Amino acid sequence: MADTVLECRNLWKIYGKITAVKDVSLEVKEGDIKLVFGPSGSGKSTLARCLAMLTTPTKGEVILTGENLTRSGVDLNKARARIGFVFQHIWLFHHLTALGNVELGLRQVLKLPKEEARERALQALREVKMEGWAEHYPAQMSGGQQQRVGIARALAMNPEIIILDEPTSSLDPELTGEVVDTLRDLAQKGTTMLVISHEMTFAREVADEMIFIDEGAIIERGPPELFFTNPTSERARRFMARLIKRTRRE
Amino acid sequence: MDLSEKLILILSGLPTTLAISILSFLLGFIIGLPLAFVRTYTSKPFQILVDGYEKVLRSVPEIVTMLFLYFGVGGIPAFRFPFKNSFFVATFALGLRSGANQSQVFRSAIRGIGEEQMVAARSLGLSRLQAVFHVMIPQTFIIATPGLGSEYALLVKDSSYSFILGVIDMMRRADTVRKTSLDTVFPYIATALLYILLTFPLATYLDSWGSRKKKELGL
Repeated sequence: MADTVLECRNLWKIYGKITAVKDVSLEVKEGDIKLVFGPSGSGKSTLARCLAMLTTPTKGEVILTGENLTRSGVDLNKARARIGFVFQHIWLFHHLTALGNVELGLRQVLKLPKEEARERALQALREVKMEGWAEHYPAQMSGGQQQRVGIARALAMNPEIIILDEPTSSLDPELTGEVVDTLRDLAQKGTTMLVISHEMTFAREVADEMIFIDEGAIIERGPPELFFTNPTSERARRFMARLIKRTRRE
Repeated sequence: MDLSEKLILILSGLPTTLAISILSFLLGFIIGLPLAFVRTYTSKPFQILVDGYEKVLRSVPEIVTMLFLYFGVGGIPAFRFPFKNSFFVATFALGLRSGANQSQVFRSAIRGIGEEQMVAARSLGLSRLQAVFHVMIPQTFIIATPGLGSEYALLVKDSSYSFILGVIDMMRRADTVRKTSLDTVFPYIATALLYILLTFPLATYLDSWGSRKKKELGL
């Protein structure tokens, strides 16, 4: 049985009167691909950020290969370097080229020597088919290309897991394909991933488990077949119906 | 005294004018950049301190600061050095205010970049300080360039206040020319043109460079 890479136990995130994440427990094992989905504003992004410790959870535990990150005294910078994160709005560093974006963490966090960092950054860019754009700045690329660099930036650090927060939802529909292809490649290589996405074709193809979230809580979880054929909860059923209708339209 | 002699005499004050402007700009930079980050990223008490500094220095007329430092602080025996040196006081006073101004310029640049870049850097495992140095500061510079250009122009102009402390700058020379030649028009027109030459081209260049770079990088 594969080892658990990242898990959370009874995770809560409360902002004043708003409960963004409500008692969520989940576990991602090595090589797993979990797909989290749900209506907008349901707390998916907050959950993703808590899992990467980019936001401190209000209650509960986040555990990265046995190390409890919610305990005080943990070096969170080191932990974050082991968790890749891809943002919905991409957030490449504007002042750096594609190569510079990917190299930054390698140089400053992993402290790799210049040559080695460059080599590894180029390798990561190759994996997302962006090596030809190494010297270009983000503003010179399309959204899809930027997001692939965003994926390379996370990938290059050789993280134990990559969390992707709606990697295609800020892109024009014609650009989502190339990013989904990249994700498919990662899946084939056995990359451990937690993906927040509404790309249902992708989900059906690669997800080991789908997790439906609404109002901050897990409503239903199971293999893709469950959701595509017969979700148990009324909320998941209605949401799936809408998604499938939309996918057909596209 | 013919016109070229007058002009040469006025120009002999130019190095001092430039020295005060450049040194006070650098002092302002050394003060302003850290203050902007302190104001943005630290806790309330520090923020209040920075705000207080900015408000005071920006509200008090430059001439009051200069005279206070020169006569007030310089009058205390222990501070005679360096506060009885008019060049030092002029540069220091302008630098203090420039620090307040530059802090605001940098702070609004930081705000313009937004929290996203910081979060992205932290997600890679960079510490807050590393993120500030490698991600925030480089972008802050680009966004702040036009503002820094105007700030420089302001310092060149305001360096003329040092005249009152007896610093022999361009302004002082112009006045000397007026007194000795009894020409009350040329010295001032020449000086005005020289100030325009010192400020306008550089400020305009920095403004257009900054705006172009910002656009290119999508900042």
